[in-house]
Amino acid sequence: MTPAPEHDSYFIERGPEPGGTGAVGRAFGETLRGLKTTFGRLVEGPTTVQYPEEKIPVYPRFRGRHRLHRFEDTGLEKCVGCSLCAAACPADCIRVVAAENTPDHRVSGGERYAAVYEINMSRCIFCGYCELACPFDAITMGNDFELADYTRSDLIFTKEMLLAEPLERTPLRAEGE
Amino acid sequence: MPRPQRSPITFTIDGRDVVAPEGTMLADAAKVGDVEIPVFCYEPKLGAPVGACRMCLVEVEGIPKLQTACSTPVKDGMVVNTTAPKVKAAQESVLEFLLVNHPLDCPVCDKGGECPLQDISYGWGRGLSRVAEPKRHFTKPLELSPLIAIDRERCILCYRCVRFSQEVAEDHQLVFLERGADTYVGTFDSHPYVAPFSGNIIELCPVGALTSRPYRFRARPWDIEGGGTVCTLCPGQCNVTHTVRDERVLRTLSRENDAVDDGWLCDKGRFSYQAATAPERLQQPLVRDADGNLQPASWDDALDRAASILRASGERTAAIAGGRTLNEEGYLLQRLLRDQLSSPHLESRIAPGPSRELLAALHAPALQATVPDLEFAHHVLLLDIEPQEAAPILELRLRKGARRLGTKLSVAGPRPSALDPRAQHVLRYAPGGNEGFLKALAAALEGGDVSGPAAAAGIDAAAVSGLADTLKAAGEDRVILYSDALLSGPGADESARALLRIAAALSLSGEDGAGSGGAGLLGIPATTNGRGLREAGVLPDAGPGLRAVAHPGRDLPGIAEGLAGSELDALIALGVDPIADLQGRAAWRQALGASHLIAVSSFLTEGVAGYAAVVFPQEAPAEQEGTLTHPDGRVQRARPAVRRPDGIRSGWWVLAQLAARLGDRTTLHTAGMAFAELTAEVPFLAGLTLDEIGGKGVRWPTLAEAATWPKGTTDLEPQTDATVVPPANGALRLARQSSPWRIPEVAASKALRFLVPSADARLAPADAERLGITEGSPVALSVDGTEISATARLDSRIPAGTVVAQAGVPGGGADELGGAAAGGIGLVEVRSA
Ligand code: SF4
Ligand code: SF4
Ligand code: SF4
Ligand code: SF4
Ligand code: FES
Repeated sequence: MTPAPEHDSYFIERGPEPGGTGAVGRAFGETLRGLKTTFGRLVEGPTTVQYPEEKIPVYPRFRGRHRLHRFEDTGLEKCVGCSLCAAACPADCIRVVAAENTPDHRVSGGERYAAVYEINMSRCIFCGYCELACPFDAITMGNDFELADYTRSDLIFTKEMLLAEPLERTPLRAEGE
Repeated sequence: MPRPQRSPITFTIDGRDVVAPEGTMLADAAKVGDVEIPVFCYEPKLGAPVGACRMCLVEVEGIPKLQTACSTPVKDGMVVNTTAPKVKAAQESVLEFLLVNHPLDCPVCDKGGECPLQDISYGWGRGLSRVAEPKRHFTKPLELSPLIAIDRERCILCYRCVRFSQEVAEDHQLVFLERGADTYVGTFDSHPYVAPFSGNIIELCPVGALTSRPYRFRARPWDIEGGGTVCTLCPGQCNVTHTVRDERVLRTLSRENDAVDDGWLCDKGRFSYQAATAPERLQQPLVRDADGNLQPASWDDALDRAASILRASGERTAAIAGGRTLNEEGYLLQRLLRDQLSSPHLESRIAPGPSRELLAALHAPALQATVPDLEFAHHVLLLDIEPQEAAPILELRLRKGARRLGTKLSVAGPRPSALDPRAQHVLRYAPGGNEGFLKALAAALEGGDVSGPAAAAGIDAAAVSGLADTLKAAGEDRVILYSDALLSGPGADESARALLRIAAALSLSGEDGAGSGGAGLLGIPATTNGRGLREAGVLPDAGPGLRAVAHPGRDLPGIAEGLAGSELDALIALGVDPIADLQGRAAWRQALGASHLIAVSSFLTEGVAGYAAVVFPQEAPAEQEGTLTHPDGRVQRARPAVRRPDGIRSGWWVLAQLAARLGDRTTLHTAGMAFAELTAEVPFLAGLTLDEIGGKGVRWPTLAEAATWPKGTTDLEPQTDATVVPPANGALRLARQSSPWRIPEVAASKALRFLVPSADARLAPADAERLGITEGSPVALSVDGTEISATARLDSRIPAGTVVAQAGVPGGGADELGGAAAGGIGLVEVRSA
């Protein structure tokens, strides 16, 4: 009931008075209701994931730690060091220094390659813009999310680290799962 | 020549009424109305538009076909439409056409991100390509020169680079080869495009067809910052922007200032930024130890050592400033010497020059010509100056005037110049004949005896009279461009008086109200800030503001003599190496061997490495902070584009610290404070602030304070007969040629190193035949027992009896030939080696 604004009085709605047999019955009933949930879940078995021993599989489009790729046939790096990812990055955490391929030192498929390619993971916001910007699909967002480390400088990932196969792969959720 | 005056007219563009100067091209006039018309080939700096790319098509009411906005001048009442469907269709078609053969290279293309083709495709293109056919391919990238890479697939045939080579630099090297889709830019015979201004085409190319090899793949536009400053490598003082990434200069671009450089740079200014990161650059102070080896030292130790040397030498100290020394440093140097050490022995020129009174008259504000005056003059007379050596950028200005406005040029000097083919009169007098020639010309203009002084200079009197007649008949805007060399050596004062008489006879001074103020003298000093250092008081006979001093000091030969003897004990060399940069190497070796040298230098050049007791590392051009003065009186600011490396300190700081150790109580904390002290001492700079100077500089001769410029001498009567150039008598007269590439910054830049001059000796074919010398053969040049070897080059432009030897080459070259030849007048024995 809403007190009328012109009145200076209001109503209090109270529950049943404590004490008495009714109260004992109510308390018992509520406890049973709670136990119903407990026992109901008990038969489902445990849901806790024993991280880090166990990991929840991620969705295929999950945006985790970046990976750089090579061409499967030639082994050359796909990245040409164009810096477009660095331009697209809103957190400004990619640094690319390009250099020129020479006939006896060919690193990538194009005229240039990334001599330095660094991503500062402590700044990355995992938006995936770099992946979108890359004209060669050289960089993609991987599945790894375990990036914690003891120092900030260890969070700067170099080209070698990004090109390497991740040691422990995060499980991927299967189709339709 | 009066500057073109353009009256404002009104025209309509896209329904808006816009006021623009009459005759401006539509592409420029549209900007006044905030309308952008896309262009590729249009670049006003290159001269008349050519309409090569058709990107700028617009609709003009009353003309049935679309017009090119870049070559259609606006007229009063013109109605222009840039948004009509017809125009839109044309723009889309032109772009589609340009892209038919254009590779999809953007990610690997150095122009990406700052590419007009990208921008215009994005803004005016169709957004979709209908071309599925294969594109035409070229081998790429090719080396157009050691400095420039060419990717012929990307070229859109806009003609900019070719026009630059043909019509601006006039080196006539770049051409279009083949026809149709196979057309490409190149040089005849595919020889490398090596020219003093070649780098400008990189900045001109609207696509990534021409790219800088040293900058190749170094950075993207979003990785970099621009640092605007002034090139301090020659008196041209072009305005530049350094491209900086990670505190390193990666590229140098022009920062257009029409009053100074017209938007161009020479290759020295464009590529020698690499010297700052060269391994041979000094990065910390060096002090010579007891065994005579230079050892790295801390700043405190080096300063203490230098101070103790100076304390001991006191008034027996001399100082020479040069190279890239800024005004503030020059001012502090002269204060250190005059106030702390009570020594008057200061010099900032590389050879003795005219006295204070004559300098005051030569640089008088009313007599001062400016750089744009060179372009608009009726006649420019070049006296003993090869612009390509003295201040390369001026050559482009002279060529521009001569080509586009019909400015007449005349060239007089002992050596051939690159501008000879453009000149109306080419006069060649004997090396060392400056005084005689100037007196002959003065006499010819005043109606005196020409033949006497002309004979002394070894030149035909009729030729001098012919030049005088032309000058008299030319319009009133006559400019004389001369180098320090014209007024140096023993006859400097007499030469200066003769030059002032010439100026008076041609009424070059704006004072008498003649002409449009576009006449005058423009003297180009031998070092970058020669003019500023003179005005800051680094002269033996003048203090700051060119004021008289009570006790004049020694001139350069006097300093060398004093150091070699016992009258002087120590020398401070600020930005110069006495042996590498000054004349008379043998004398300087002896002088430095007998004294203490305190040097501020970037590199271990001969004198510094061999003789310095203390070496302070110098800042690179992109690190300097302070002001410098252009030869036409423009005070410009050098602003640091990058941080100094840790071991390097500013020149002003070093001088202030030395002064403090010698008892100076004033404290300086910034370069700006040093500038404030300079302006307080120099009356004609009084009240000038760094803010006023700003990015474009201020010409002090135009300020009200210019009235305080000291009065120059008025007594111009010749006091002696002209020094007679000795007859060759079988030997040859030596003229020295000083390549623009002789500075250590060029040798230290990886990209430019290939330009370091080699020891050439150029002589007339007749002399060569007589001496049995053939083109390319080794020859030996000797004076008083000193001998150098060189490669003979036959040059029909050199008069018989003269040999032009390259100075500033590794190992010495012409500089080694000391003795009388150092002053310019000397005979040299040339023989086949
Ligand atoms: S990852 Fe892709 S976008 Fe980034 S530099 Fe390499 S090629 Fe360019
Ligand atoms: S020239 Fe411009 S459009 Fe052409 S590939 Fe280079 S960046 Fe792309
Ligand atoms: S190379 Fe560049 S400047 Fe030269 S014609 Fe081609 S596009 Fe124009
Ligand atoms: S002309 Fe002189 S000032 Fe201009 S860029 Fe060349 S060296 Fe520098
Ligand atoms: S800009 Fe007008 S035709 Fe090229």
